[in-house]
Amino acid sequence: MADGSGSRSDSGRGGSTAPELGVRGTGPGHITMGGLTAGGGALLVFVSEHCPTSALALRRLGPLCRAWAQAGLTAVAIFEDPLDVAIRTARRLGWSGQVATDDPPYPASRAYRVATVPTSVLVGRDGVLAGTVAGWDQPALAALLGEAGQMLGAGLAVPPATEPLRKPGCSAKAAIDPDLVAAMSGPGGGDEPEEMFERGWTDGLPVIPPTAERVEAMLDGRDGGESLGLVPPAMGEATLARVAACAVLAGCRPAYFPVVAAAARAVLDPAFNLHGQAVTTQPAGQLVVVNGPVREAIGLNSGMGALGPGFRANLTIGRAVRLLVALTGGAMPGAMDRATLGHMGKLGFCVAEDEEGSPWEPLHVERGFDAGQSVVTVIGSDAPLSISDHRSRTPDDLAYVLAWAAASAWSTNWWPLAEPSVFVICPEHAQMFRDAGWTKQRLRQFMFEAVRKPAGLLRRGETTPVVHAAAPGALVPKWASPEAIVLLVAGGEAGRYSAVLGPCTGMGSQIVSREVT
Amino acid sequence: MAADYVSPFDERVRAVEPLAPRPVSVPGRHAVLLDIRKNRGAEFLDRMETLFQAAGVNTARVTKEIFSKPAALGLIDEIASGAGLVVEALAD
Repeated sequence: MADGSGSRSDSGRGGSTAPELGVRGTGPGHITMGGLTAGGGALLVFVSEHCPTSALALRRLGPLCRAWAQAGLTAVAIFEDPLDVAIRTARRLGWSGQVATDDPPYPASRAYRVATVPTSVLVGRDGVLAGTVAGWDQPALAALLGEAGQMLGAGLAVPPATEPLRKPGCSAKAAIDPDLVAAMSGPGGGDEPEEMFERGWTDGLPVIPPTAERVEAMLDGRDGGESLGLVPPAMGEATLARVAACAVLAGCRPAYFPVVAAAARAVLDPAFNLHGQAVTTQPAGQLVVVNGPVREAIGLNSGMGALGPGFRANLTIGRAVRLLVALTGGAMPGAMDRATLGHMGKLGFCVAEDEEGSPWEPLHVERGFDAGQSVVTVIGSDAPLSISDHRSRTPDDLAYVLAWAAASAWSTNWWPLAEPSVFVICPEHAQMFRDAGWTKQRLRQFMFEAVRKPAGLLRRGETTPVVHAAAPGALVPKWASPEAIVLLVAGGEAGRYSAVLGPCTGMGSQIVSREVT
Repeated sequence: MAADYVSPFDERVRAVEPLAPRPVSVPGRHAVLLDIRKNRGAEFLDRMETLFQAAGVNTARVTKEIFSKPAALGLIDEIASGAGLVVEALAD
């Protein structure tokens, strides 16, 4: 596939006029050569989303575009890909110049005889071709930019002379057999799931294409134009149709949609601060907890493997919410989602509470709903940490073990935590508390009081102002209040494994619940 | 084929806001120092304030509600209407 050799060509010199472009950009109308060269000159960089050398060129040249623009040189990346793919790719790679797309059959690429991507073409103010570099060739590009600088009477920044200095490009679609181009330019080369990847309508896994018919079925008569609000950070509008499109992409059945819509409303509540959660370097995702009769009605699993794979309703509802954040909200990892590591729950994280097996009132009742209502509750949450305890014979011992498992939640010495830690209590553990007559509040209070350390032992590395302000011997609790401990019951009947999910910290995020209607 | 799909993206194209011109010199200008309330951001702003004042720049300090949320519109208006320069302190 790689065939461009990374070479400088001056064939454009000698007064050849640059062909008109006729490419689409992000603004209205077509981009014209006159517009591009109005400041003094233009650098056209023909690229393809699929080509690693194009990615290299965009990464290396992208950060320089703004400074060039101030000197009068307008840089434009001309993609052989759909405009939305072009915009996303440019953003991901840090390209700060203009972005355009050359639609099939690639008239601009053909007019400029682009056989290889990337190909960089310098055009002067008078619209005259000044030089071309094919592939990635740092010395040749530096020379080309030197020429541009002379043209403009300004010194222009050049890409750093770091390895690789040269790298062959890839075949431009315009240079390939027209039938092959048609196949490549069609929907994913005729492969619909591949087209979804090409469009960027994915979280990295294959999706169900959101055809109008499927979205219509998902909406089931609801008004697709209804707006649920703006999804941060990109502030895309969450129309019900877009939420339904995300549900289709995720693989939801239409019966799940009321839960997805309720979860969407919940995460968009400003009190949840999705904005902060979506862009943070923290790993946190959005945990969706479902209570009430809808669990049974749509087959949500609250039993064996409640936090794991195997159940379509759990996996696809959580995934639909995350796709809404990532696609409509623009929070894709590497773009506006800046999570250092993330966690697998960010693909989708939906748990149903085992209300029938619980000795306590379920979460939604604690939060003021009737037991007969179906409710979605969203919580900013870290990945689960499993807590094995097959040996405790008293509720005190078990509560102690559970609580201390969370001692390193968020960070080892970050005490106290104001935000919620979610404990998922397995049925066998719950049974011990039931047999002992422990209420939920008693367990929560015990856990709150059990996990304390002298401030002096916590003054190492990342810690809190509370720890710094306390006397060395003063006991600091792990949580700021018992209310920061959330208790759910779920899991298989056998096995004494509960789990704790650490919080999303420092965001001012509150737990939000919405009724499923 | 494209018309058969419902896009999850908000496809509206927004105009790119150009960067404001960078100042050639700062003496005599008014600078707002925005503390976003992240750890140690204030220390950075303290240093900036000292340097600015030594360079003849008038300074004022403003603070966001919390670092993880966009600034309130009222605060943005206050900064936009009163400042020639803005320095926003990041953190950690």
